Amino acid sequence: MCLHERVEFMGDESVPYFLGEGTTKTYQIPISHLDYKFIEKCTDVKHLEKILRVLRSGEEGCYPDLTLVCEKRIERLDPRSRALRKDKPPATASDFTAGEWQAINSELMNWLTEMNEDDRKSQLMRTDTPNERQDNLPPVRCSSSCLPTNQNKKLQNKQRSKKNIPRDYSEWDKFDVEKECSKIDEDCEESNSKARFFSRPSLPIIEKKIDTIGMTNRDKIIIATREKEKGNEAFASGDYVEAVTYYTRSLSVIPTAAVYNNKAQAEIKLQDWDNALEDCEKVLDMEPGNIKALMRRATVHSHLQNYQTAIEDLNKVLSVEPKNTNAKKRLLELEEKLKSLKPVSEPQGKGKKILIQEIEDAESGEGRGENTEECERRGGGSGAAAAARAGGQRAMGNAHRKSHGKGGKARDRDAHKNQDSAESRLKKGEPEKKSEKHLSDHEGEVNGFLRSDEKSESAEAEISEPPREESQSAGSGSSTALPPTAAKLKSEGNELFKSGQFGEAVLKYSEAIEYVTSLGEQRPDDLSILYSNRAACYLKEGNCSDCIQDCNRALELQPFSLKPLLRRAMANESMERYRQAYIDYKTVLQIDSSIQAANDSANRITKTLIDQDGPSWREKLPPIPVVPVAAQLHRWDGGSLTSENKPSTIDINREEQLQMNCEEAVEKFKRLKNEGNDFVKMGEYEEAANKYSECMKLNTEECTVYTNRALCYLKLYKYEEAKRDCDHVLQIEDSNIKAFYRRALAYKGLQNYQASADDFSKVLLIDPNVLEAQKELEEVTQLLHFDGSAGAGSQQTHGKKITIQEVTEADEEEERQFATSEDAETRRVPAEEAVPKPVPRRASEKRRVSEPPNAYDFGQMINALNANKDKAACADLLTVTDPKTLPVLLSNKLEGETLLIFIQSLEHYIAGKDPGLAYQHLFYLSKAERFKVVLALLSKNEKGEVQQLFDLLSKSWSDQYSLEDLESLKKVYEL
Amino acid sequence: MSAVLAAERPQVVSHVQQALSYTVFDCKWVPRSARLLCLGSAARGTGVLQLYELNGARLQLLREIEKPKPIKCGTFGATSLQQRYLATGDFDGNLNIWNLEAPEIPVYSVKGHKEIINSIDGVGGLGIGEGAPEIVTGSRDGTVKVWDPRQNDIPVANMESVQGESKRDCWTVAFGNAYNLEERVVCAGYDNGDIKLFDLKTMSLRWETNIKNGVCSVEFDRKDINMNKLVATSLEGKFHVFDMRTQHPTKGFAYVSEKAQKSTIWQVRHLPQNRDIFMTSGGSGSLHLWKYEYPAQRSKKDSEGCEMGVAGSLSLLQNVTLSTQPISSLDWSPDKTGLCVCGAYDQTVRVLIVTKLNKI
Repeated sequence: MCLHERVEFMGDESVPYFLGEGTTKTYQIPISHLDYKFIEKCTDVKHLEKILRVLRSGEEGCYPDLTLVCEKRIERLDPRSRALRKDKPPATASDFTAGEWQAINSELMNWLTEMNEDDRKSQLMRTDTPNERQDNLPPVRCSSSCLPTNQNKKLQNKQRSKKNIPRDYSEWDKFDVEKECSKIDEDCEESNSKARFFSRPSLPIIEKKIDTIGMTNRDKIIIATREKEKGNEAFASGDYVEAVTYYTRSLSVIPTAAVYNNKAQAEIKLQDWDNALEDCEKVLDMEPGNIKALMRRATVHSHLQNYQTAIEDLNKVLSVEPKNTNAKKRLLELEEKLKSLKPVSEPQGKGKKILIQEIEDAESGEGRGENTEECERRGGGSGAAAAARAGGQRAMGNAHRKSHGKGGKARDRDAHKNQDSAESRLKKGEPEKKSEKHLSDHEGEVNGFLRSDEKSESAEAEISEPPREESQSAGSGSSTALPPTAAKLKSEGNELFKSGQFGEAVLKYSEAIEYVTSLGEQRPDDLSILYSNRAACYLKEGNCSDCIQDCNRALELQPFSLKPLLRRAMANESMERYRQAYIDYKTVLQIDSSIQAANDSANRITKTLIDQDGPSWREKLPPIPVVPVAAQLHRWDGGSLTSENKPSTIDINREEQLQMNCEEAVEKFKRLKNEGNDFVKMGEYEEAANKYSECMKLNTEECTVYTNRALCYLKLYKYEEAKRDCDHVLQIEDSNIKAFYRRALAYKGLQNYQASADDFSKVLLIDPNVLEAQKELEEVTQLLHFDGSAGAGSQQTHGKKITIQEVTEADEEEERQFATSEDAETRRVPAEEAVPKPVPRRASEKRRVSEPPNAYDFGQMINALNANKDKAACADLLTVTDPKTLPVLLSNKLEGETLLIFIQSLEHYIAGKDPGLAYQHLFYLSKAERFKVVLALLSKNEKGEVQQLFDLLSKSWSDQYSLEDLESLKKVYEL
Repeated sequence: MSAVLAAERPQVVSHVQQALSYTVFDCKWVPRSARLLCLGSAARGTGVLQLYELNGARLQLLREIEKPKPIKCGTFGATSLQQRYLATGDFDGNLNIWNLEAPEIPVYSVKGHKEIINSIDGVGGLGIGEGAPEIVTGSRDGTVKVWDPRQNDIPVANMESVQGESKRDCWTVAFGNAYNLEERVVCAGYDNGDIKLFDLKTMSLRWETNIKNGVCSVEFDRKDINMNKLVATSLEGKFHVFDMRTQHPTKGFAYVSEKAQKSTIWQVRHLPQNRDIFMTSGGSGSLHLWKYEYPAQRSKKDSEGCEMGVAGSLSLLQNVTLSTQPISSLDWSPDKTGLCVCGAYDQTVRVLIVTKLNKI
């Protein structure tokens, strides 16, 4: 009787004796407890409740004041205590202030009058509305089967049609869940109807639209409101997907700003930035000054890294509500973020979107584009995938796993830390990832390699998913060398790892390690793998410090092994030891520059370090160890995964010596290379090429520098030089896929189609999945044929401006702009052998005149065109674009600049040749979102341009439009 | 002190009290109007149906209709907003649908049950719930039947105990899960504490449980969404809130239970404008206003990896005592948040205003 003891204890200690001995009748509470002092001090709610009951009952006398004190005490300790519930009369006017009372009554009266009016109206209508909706109703349940005369028969009917489904309670009572479950396992086909019994469908199918046929306006308002309420409720319970569904339903009945706003908020919660942005913009279209929408759009923009736009939005908020503390806080954060990002790039007027693209460009300059998120989703198990979705980061995944694990306290603490760091990264890292994903998709189009990387890169999978390859490479590769016991333990460990039981896997690996060490034999490579595997387990568990320890051991045994390095890097990263992590990633990249995750992480950490240490962050880094050449890999095929065994032959002493000597040179080399990469990022290919050239003076062995420089040359149309660089790489490394690919492009540029085709086939030989190469190969083969028949000089090519331009340029020999891959088939290839000449890098944008596949790519092209004011290219783009798709492609990105360049290119290039097409474009352009807004913002001169175009069109003639059409379109263009 | 409380919590104001000359069993707001219906039994054993209109601070009787049998329950749930036909269940087991404009003869009538229809519910009408309009009735004869007003004489679904087994008195029925054209469930509560959940799509018993005491009232928080919560009240003053989102293969649905008062909880009704707020009416003439709060995670994995629900918590927003007699019926106005009508066995019907509901 703990309570009893406690009560006695308290009585002895704190209550002065004054009422005499004795207890209450009902609960045997000492009378002395019915006292102000005792009640004030007592913290035992149960005891106090008993006291209260005694006091209320009045069996010890009536003490209204003491009762009140007791009630208050309980309320303070436990506001939800049931003892506080009292029978209360309904509230009356005296419970409210006069104003409130009046408000309540007037509100009701207003509603009553509103209802009465409504009633009268609907009464008038009633005669013609009944049965209106009957047609839309679904059929009567089960009436499809012939109606039985009595119920029993009907039941039987049903039973027959739906076998095994119990009908009445007795059967229901007999229903054996276990048996039914196993039956389902056995018989999948039958489970359809019953499975939902046990496992609910993953997502309920809810219609996104509501059929509003035959509804009056008032009906619609009621339905829209109800759907919105449902959305709000779902939102409140944290079910954002459902909330979005119900908001969508509400909008399908009546679109209102408030619902769009709510939907945007739900989408923000779901991190569905694109839709959230769209919805915010819709709100702002309807209500331009909507504070909430502005705040939300700022959130979305900041997640999409459009900091500038986000700041603009916040400023708008502050101009309306100068005291909005939330907006102020966010503004400060963003400004800081923006500041910290500035050193990475030259200040750009264009805002962040371009910046990301450029960074991505640089990555592809290194020949790679990837994203961890995706490969993780592809490679990892379902758990990992979920984690990847939640965090998009391995660290997050680890933290998740760990919180499920049975780790001790220390681990838990670790987990929290991890989670924190992961979450903090989630803020900036995750959306970044997202946009990177988009971008890399896009880049894939532009820059040959990305696609192939994403498809074929097992090196990525390696990082995101150590289990499988671990067991493959380590398990099968070296188990022969291990003593059988250890090999068995190891493969068991691998199995456990695969199934996600990391804790158990750790035990197995530890046993194996113990066993191997006890043998006393020198097995550094095996031991290293075991440590590395155990490190992987620790990493998965989130036990970063142990992971690092194991990695250290593995690396002691096997310096410059890829996986332990990577794991240590990840562990360091999740422990927020960014510098160490950076060093490790960089080392990894020296060994194998093709590991995209390392590339990405290094980039990410660079940002973090810049945030942390400022522009001089590099100075604070410990030296990056130099990886001996023998340990370097430049694998592109991703076929051979075992890197652990590679460096085994290296004599550590010699290597250390080398390290001492080269340290400085390597530092410089690294710096130059990074600078070169930065230039690539900014599109300064000449400078980049120079930097790379300097790099080569320091280290002629580093293939990446050559391939990178080749890329620069390609961009600069210096095909001869590009070819030379590729040749060099291929001498060192005869299967460098990147070099082959770029040489192929260079050959193509040199119009040596045969050689180009050969190289493309080699690329495909090494990795058949390189889609770009396939595409290129087709084109080149075509060109080959074309070249052969070019002598005939057939003139059937479409009279495209660019063709003409090219020919004229080609006349001037050497001046020819090299055109390119994608649209090569559309133009005639001049017979003269032309040596390409460097052209301004902007011209590179001309390359892409293929039909844009989606709005995103289209937007990118338009951005590029706008930047260059390249009307000719824009005309080309418009020629290949189906006018009907314009509104879709433009989505909500139409801007004054875009409209103008469209108008100009239509006027100068298209209207003359194909007025019909120009008309079509103008027509569909007017259907694009934001058209009205953009139009309203055009200046007088710009309007003049539009007018000119119309004049031009009215002069020329096409069967696609009449003058009336033109006139009406003119009205749309407000002329 | 009450002034302080009034500032924070919802208050229940008794707006109108109307004494009746008969025993009222059910009262209902006529959708999209300021009118309400009272159904009951006159002293001479006939049924009474009264239509009132809220007119300022009083109820104005618009119409009184007498029927041969006492009327136990009624619903507008399966009618269109234009028609607003009332479906009633009476002491004789008849299901009738009335056009209140011409109440002399029912537009639909069926002798649905052998004994009194205790409870009735409708779905598919009033824009609430996708799919066909359907009415469910639960009766003392132990059966639960689903009716489609477009099909005469026979139910579209019938849930009864097998012959020879003791019949349980069905006290309450409710529709739910009607979020698309196919899905629909009926929940029924019985005098022995059984709660059964029938899936009308698969024509199967989806779940059952027993809460030990007679189940007086069950209601889903919303009929027209993927079923979310179910409240079941019981004879001995307890009620249970089940989280219906996650069904565990063996443990069923997670729930939280709460004891409101010492007496029977006759009715539970969710606020139509906010599914997480509901009112219970008690045998001691009291009303309790509750709010359900969701847990941080609504489901978790058990040791075998099956999803199981996690119940949330309840907080009492307000309680008032209106009468010494049980409050047997309760209905929120679907049109005006906080407007509520309740009928008690002291032969009084009360219109209540609950304030500040939109600020919770």
